[in-house]
Amino acid sequence: MFGKRIDFAGAAGFVAFMAVLPLVFGGNYLIGVLTVSVIYGIWAVSWDFMSGLTGRENFGHSLFIGVGAYTAGFLNTKFGFSGWWSLPASMIAATVFALIIGLPTLRLRGPYFALAMLSGAVIMQRLMLIFWEQTGGEEGINGIEPLIHSQLGFYYFALATLVVTTALLLALARSHWGLILRAIRGDEATCQAAGINVTYYKIASLVISAAFAGAGGALYAHYQLQVSPQLFAVVTSITIITMVYVGGMASIYGPVGGAILLVLLTELLRDFGEWRLMVYSCTLILILFFLPNGLIAPTWRRVKAKLGRPQ
Amino acid sequence: MSALLEVSGLNKHFGGLQAVRDVSFSIEPGEIVGILGPNGAGKTTLYNLLTGFIPFDSGSVVFKGRNLRGLAPYRIAGLGISRTFQLCRPFIGMSVLENAVVGGLGAQGIDRSDLDQRALALLDQVGLGGKALLPVETLSYGDQRRLEIARALAAKPALLLLDEPFAGLGSGEINDLSALIRSVHAEQGLTVMLIEHKLHEFMRLVDRVIALDFGEMIAEGTPEDIVRHPAVIEAYIGRGDEQAEEQTDAA
Ligand SMILES: Nc1ncnc2c1ncn2[C@@H]1O[C@H](COP(=O)(O)OP(=O)(O)OP(=O)(O)O)[C@@H](O)[C@H]1O
Ligand SMILES: [Mg+2]
Repeated sequence: MFGKRIDFAGAAGFVAFMAVLPLVFGGNYLIGVLTVSVIYGIWAVSWDFMSGLTGRENFGHSLFIGVGAYTAGFLNTKFGFSGWWSLPASMIAATVFALIIGLPTLRLRGPYFALAMLSGAVIMQRLMLIFWEQTGGEEGINGIEPLIHSQLGFYYFALATLVVTTALLLALARSHWGLILRAIRGDEATCQAAGINVTYYKIASLVISAAFAGAGGALYAHYQLQVSPQLFAVVTSITIITMVYVGGMASIYGPVGGAILLVLLTELLRDFGEWRLMVYSCTLILILFFLPNGLIAPTWRRVKAKLGRPQ
Repeated sequence: MSALLEVSGLNKHFGGLQAVRDVSFSIEPGEIVGILGPNGAGKTTLYNLLTGFIPFDSGSVVFKGRNLRGLAPYRIAGLGISRTFQLCRPFIGMSVLENAVVGGLGAQGIDRSDLDQRALALLDQVGLGGKALLPVETLSYGDQRRLEIARALAAKPALLLLDEPFAGLGSGEINDLSALIRSVHAEQGLTVMLIEHKLHEFMRLVDRVIALDFGEMIAEGTPEDIVRHPAVIEAYIGRGDEQAEEQTDAA
């Protein structure tokens, strides 16, 4: 009970900090960086929900991001739907792709699912170029309308989406439903012996993961006001996985911190010019070498243990 | 009364090896039945066939009047057959209590509102009450065996299949575990099948023994009959198995 109250206070403190940050320092540049970090947070949390909990690694999360973003782009520019349709529509579109890939591959053991996700993302990126007449090819779709005209307002909306996403997925992860996902990671055969339809749970968790990644993709489209095939890039998926590792796998909330930390680190390292990638990679390797369970979630657990101990 | 489990003409081969050959038996509700046989006799394979983990070549398995052919393992488990594994397979990365709780999450038609308390009570019953919140990886082998049983019982099964529950345990632990099996059997009218290749434990625990050798049923009867059965003696002594001595001890 006490632990729950500390969790809640920590979450409230974090949200307040994120909300106040642009008011204190101001500037559109900072608001932009924070918006991107918050959207990466949505992607990292949604990745962790499926792959962190069940242990089935998804190397193509960018597939759902790209599908969500292009859905938003198409609906908004080609069919004249208001931007507010983008979120539900992109969630549904990403769900469809999750079913197409998950249904055949998640019933199998082995690397099929990981490989199918990876190839799915690569193939979609190529398809965006091949069907350039519809998709705008390399340039993608431009002229997407903003959801909220004030940049600060949009940042708050993205932050709220992150909070809702994390709260929902955390509640699910801590329910019996989430316990089953963790049990699948532990031992699939024992799950079956306990009467659990392992395939169903893996597919359902992928669908949920995809829906939120797609929503994040739509937000990104309405932030950049433009979508391009680059959204499907493998490097995006790898970045997201790194964020989850830094945040603390299977903790759901940790990846939020991992995402914000790594986006900010990338920005801080802009001054290093040529050396940026090297410094970035070395920092990551050091973090993961000394903290194999990640940085954010284990640190929070330690803080909680300290606070929870009677004085 | 109709049988709880009715197995007839069951066959399974792996390549050229006939692991289970024309096995037929039936289990009445409330029985404790032992499956006896030397290494490689096909005991675990028989469990895998009954629980759907491996499809059988021919024959039939009927549980509570329902044909199990072609059903996925989770469906069969959901119908009320719980099993343990010969090599413990706990859910790594979770606490002991969580392991037991998951055992009750898949069964059909059971009340899950009090699952956490019930899992805790089961852990108490198997002697793991004090270790509920420990990570499962920290349990000793004997404790992991008890946890397997708690996990299987959490599903409130009608039929419990235990695969060598005493393997690797000391004699004190074996006595505790036998007492546990007897008490859940007595309290809940649970039907139990258990695999063993040592006869000592059988003698006191089971009503009936089915003996297998090279995949075939070589004898069936009370423990007293079985230890005197020529085919059983042949299966053990005939091959100079190290269990032979134990066998004659028990007899
Ligand atoms: N999945 C499988 N594929 C191929 N062969 C198998 C498989 N499972 C079991 N076997 C073989 O079938 C035979 C019976 O094995 P099984 O595990 O059922 O024996 P057992 O009676 O349980 O023995 P033990 O007392 O050693 O546990 C053995 O020869 C084994 O090698
Ligand atoms: Mg065996």
